[in-house]
Amino acid sequence: MKDNFLRNLVDVVPKLRRFALSLTGNRQDADDLVQAACEKALRNAAQFQDGTRMDSWMYRIVQTLWLDDRRRARVRGVAIDPDDVALSDGGKAAALPGDRMMLAKTRAAMAQLPEGQRAVLSLIGIEGLSYREAAEALDIPIGTVMSRLSRAREALLPQLGESRGPRQ
Amino acid sequence: MDKDRLAAFADGELSPEEAAGVVIHLADCPEDQAYVDDVIAASAALRAAFAAPLAEPVPAAIHATIFGPPAAQVLPFRPRPRLWAAGAALAASLALAAVVVPQLGREGPGAVAQGPVVPGPLPDSSELADVLASLPSGQVLALERARDVMILGSMPIEGGYCREVEVVDRSAATLDVALACIRGDAWNVEVVLREGLENVQTDDGFAAAAGAEVQGLTGFLDRMAAGSALSPEAEAAAISAGWRP
Repeated sequence: MKDNFLRNLVDVVPKLRRFALSLTGNRQDADDLVQAACEKALRNAAQFQDGTRMDSWMYRIVQTLWLDDRRRARVRGVAIDPDDVALSDGGKAAALPGDRMMLAKTRAAMAQLPEGQRAVLSLIGIEGLSYREAAEALDIPIGTVMSRLSRAREALLPQLGESRGPRQ
Repeated sequence: MDKDRLAAFADGELSPEEAAGVVIHLADCPEDQAYVDDVIAASAALRAAFAAPLAEPVPAAIHATIFGPPAAQVLPFRPRPRLWAAGAALAASLALAAVVVPQLGREGPGAVAQGPVVPGPLPDSSELADVLASLPSGQVLALERARDVMILGSMPIEGGYCREVEVVDRSAATLDVALACIRGDAWNVEVVLREGLENVQTDDGFAAAAGAEVQGLTGFLDRMAAGSALSPEAEAAAISAGWRP
């Protein structure tokens, strides 16, 4: 295996862990997901075109594996997202210091988004990809990216207490 | 203004001309400005909420997945001189000829003296047996018929020793890397890897060791449970002791 393939792969691991964390909502599942993604990357190394973006290739692998996991969990009847209970927690979150409360609300809001919206919002809002880059990473049309992003923000912004303007 | 357009502006997706149009609009529309502010703040909140892994080193398990477990990266210490070509500067070609494996009934005593190294028992009288018996590792020795020999290392095995030996035959333009082992009295060539050489000038007169043939011998050594290469002192002692364990 080419040396720089492995080096490029390990270099994107921090970003992949952040992406995986935004998708799974907890550190352990996120690292399990990144581990599985790296294993898959090594198996499929021959398919990676030298000179293309490693992060883009890996975001897609991470997302694909994540969706597979969730489908299996659904089939098994396992609850995979925190309920609204997490938000209406008797006001406990509101008792946290402002910064921590915002972090908690943000994570909870993210966990409630449907999978497609969560992945798009993560790639664009957190990982900083352009709409086109996100479309390529997720292998979906750019129009789909924009509509999922729009719906994600419609759901998320009110929960962050950010939305102040009337709907257009 | 349409929210998607405002979001695209906040995401930096608009062309300079389009963005300029939005900026002008926002100056007159505080509600839309507030929305743009919200989108930007939400992205910042998202980055803050999931930032932890970015500041952390790659976890050991993931690192091991990519690079292999740390122990596997430690190669058995086998101090060896680089592959060489004394005198005429030769460089190894990348074409590796077939691996020659031990066979029964090979040619008799004459074979080694006449030609390249072949597998099988070495008679005591043979040139190569003399070399194996007495030549320390790392020294080049010129043999007859335009050949040079160097021993790369000596490894203990159960009941005896193995020595990795290289023979460069400049007239035949071949490089033989062989493993010869002794358990008791006689040397036996266990395996020979042969490589064709090209007359390419190298700056330092050294031929590069192709990884293939070095690794090829490693497998044989592993199978024989060979220990690490002897230090110069231990090797000198073994030579003095006639390679008896």
